[in-house]
Amino acid sequence: MPEFSPQRDDIPAFPLPHIEHTAPSRISDHPEFHSLRRAQRRFGVRATVLSVGGFLLYVLLPSFVPAVMNQPLFGRLTVGLVLGLGQFVLMGVTVRCHVRHMRTRVDPLARGLRSRLRETERRRARSAPPPQTAGQRPLRHGSRGFRTW
Amino acid sequence: MVSAAAIDDSSLQLTFVLFLTVVVITLFTALLTAPQRDEISEFYLGDRAMSPLRNGLALCGDYLSAATLLGSTGLVALTGYDGLMYLGGTTVAWMTVLLLIAEPLHRTGRFTLGDTVALRLPRRQRPVRVALAVCVLAIATLYLVAQLVGSVALLTQFTGVPSGTTRTLCVVVIGVFVILYASLGGMPGATVIQIIKAVMLVAGVLFTAGWVLHRFDWNPGALLERASERSGSGLSFLEPGLRYGGTVSNKLDFLSLELAIVLGLAALPHVLMRLLTPRNAGVLRSSVVWAVGLVGAVCLGAGVLGLGATALLGRDAIESTDRTGNAAVLLLAHELGGSVLTALLTCLAYLTLLAVAVGLTLAGASSLAHDLYGGVIRRGRAGETEELTVARLSGAVIGVLGILLALVARGANTATLAFLAFAIAASAILPTIVYTLFWRRFSAKGALFSLYGGLFCSVLPAVFSPVVSSAPGSFYPEADFAWFPLQNPGIVSIPAGFLLGWLGTVLDRGPGEDPATHEEFEVRMLVGADD
Repeated sequence: MPEFSPQRDDIPAFPLPHIEHTAPSRISDHPEFHSLRRAQRRFGVRATVLSVGGFLLYVLLPSFVPAVMNQPLFGRLTVGLVLGLGQFVLMGVTVRCHVRHMRTRVDPLARGLRSRLRETERRRARSAPPPQTAGQRPLRHGSRGFRTW
Repeated sequence: MVSAAAIDDSSLQLTFVLFLTVVVITLFTALLTAPQRDEISEFYLGDRAMSPLRNGLALCGDYLSAATLLGSTGLVALTGYDGLMYLGGTTVAWMTVLLLIAEPLHRTGRFTLGDTVALRLPRRQRPVRVALAVCVLAIATLYLVAQLVGSVALLTQFTGVPSGTTRTLCVVVIGVFVILYASLGGMPGATVIQIIKAVMLVAGVLFTAGWVLHRFDWNPGALLERASERSGSGLSFLEPGLRYGGTVSNKLDFLSLELAIVLGLAALPHVLMRLLTPRNAGVLRSSVVWAVGLVGAVCLGAGVLGLGATALLGRDAIESTDRTGNAAVLLLAHELGGSVLTALLTCLAYLTLLAVAVGLTLAGASSLAHDLYGGVIRRGRAGETEELTVARLSGAVIGVLGILLALVARGANTATLAFLAFAIAASAILPTIVYTLFWRRFSAKGALFSLYGGLFCSVLPAVFSPVVSSAPGSFYPEADFAWFPLQNPGIVSIPAGFLLGWLGTVLDRGPGEDPATHEEFEVRMLVGADD
């Protein structure tokens, strides 16, 4: 499915004209699609649990082990304060890993599937267009790209 | 709430001039960049070709409200460690957005959240759109009222408790600016004010934090040492529990608050709306990374400001000016840079408040116009000009509603209202987003259950909490119908929202959606059509 148009076709946009696009359902059977889904979801869930869960654990810790949290490390800097700063470091690391994971593992898969999708669509468009809709089709596709104003 | 004027007259005049200058300049820019073509895409999404840095600044501007600048620094100044933990939560909140929500939502979204849900549940999209609009309106109105009440509280720092006329004037003037920006400027106008505000906020906070550290020879240890000395509570200032310690219900309250903050951001309507503006998912990713960095920097800076206020002024001076500590930053600015810095930071606080209010009004207006009017009343047959007119009118209506409610709720606490809005977002809208994106079986009934149920489960405990009755600082201190022991409903309402969404889906016996719909939704969500 091409880019969501920022422009609005005045035909009701939702539900979208799914009927003519049966091609994506083929893509969803593709093994690459499954590994894409797994790659994206697994990392997202793990990283979220790690960073958000880690933070909530940090919030709860003083209730269970106050003595450890109040242990001074250097000067007035206690274990609790250091762990708090550590949250920011952890976040930075998570963001870095996320961006790298998306760039190396997820984006190439998505790009491959996208071009496959376009290929299927183009083939369908070439084989199927009735003469009347041929005039509307490019217009429709043109409206789906974003404008660069 | 406040005993005396905190800051002298000259900085009030300076603030007034500065604020008016900034507002007038941004208003003109907003009107110049306002939608020209009567296109709703331009009104809702603004300039889609913006760079990641600008988008990140706008996201940061939408998110950080005056509560962060004044409220949480005050909390740090008065309660030390607990306040710092609160600031941590403000930053961590962005991780959910970056890791789970942003890109899938961008690929499947169009103008509002209702569009994403409608793509996933096309057959019964109308009742869901209504429910979404109700929740978005509730959040937007509550948060808007919080900002407007906050503007009065800010004025109080200068003039002491203002007279009725001054209070009304302050709320009305700010409210009218909000309506002008939102209705005339639309998203392009809102973007202008968000970016200007974000740049000023980041620069202002980091500059002042640097000044504080400079006073302590760039030695954070000395700052901590001095702060705990002058906090009146000694070592325990840097230990957990000063604010949210002691009883179990106090600790639960804090966990509840942190849950609402950490999960609520990912469902705040004005932030969600902003997630849809970048050109493609790649730009969005970089934008959110920028936003995480900027918010993190501001939060760290705010922590330094709070500690600095205690270290340089002492707890008594801060608390005697304003019991909640909201004056801490302004007092600190006065101590460091005299009336000029005070005026700058006050102007910044007003601008922050104004910008957040504009974002909220716009989100509420787009939900009313696009989901309720365009999607439900006109069933997708409304023309662009028509929907645009409705959107502009809705902006004005929400603004006026906010002004009226802010005038009625004179004693309301800004923080309480804002936290309730976060709790509603986390318990009503977040379950719907998560299930829509990640759960194959999710049905319309589940969406309705989680939206209405989450709204109900967060508002009801709040009404019967110590915030409204029984406690000395509540709306009705004499009455006592507070059977809910916590101030923040999040710990109950967020699980309830998720549970209800699941329950509704399991119980749904109605005509299901076409299985192909979900498949297509998933393809679009993962593969998208970017680049």
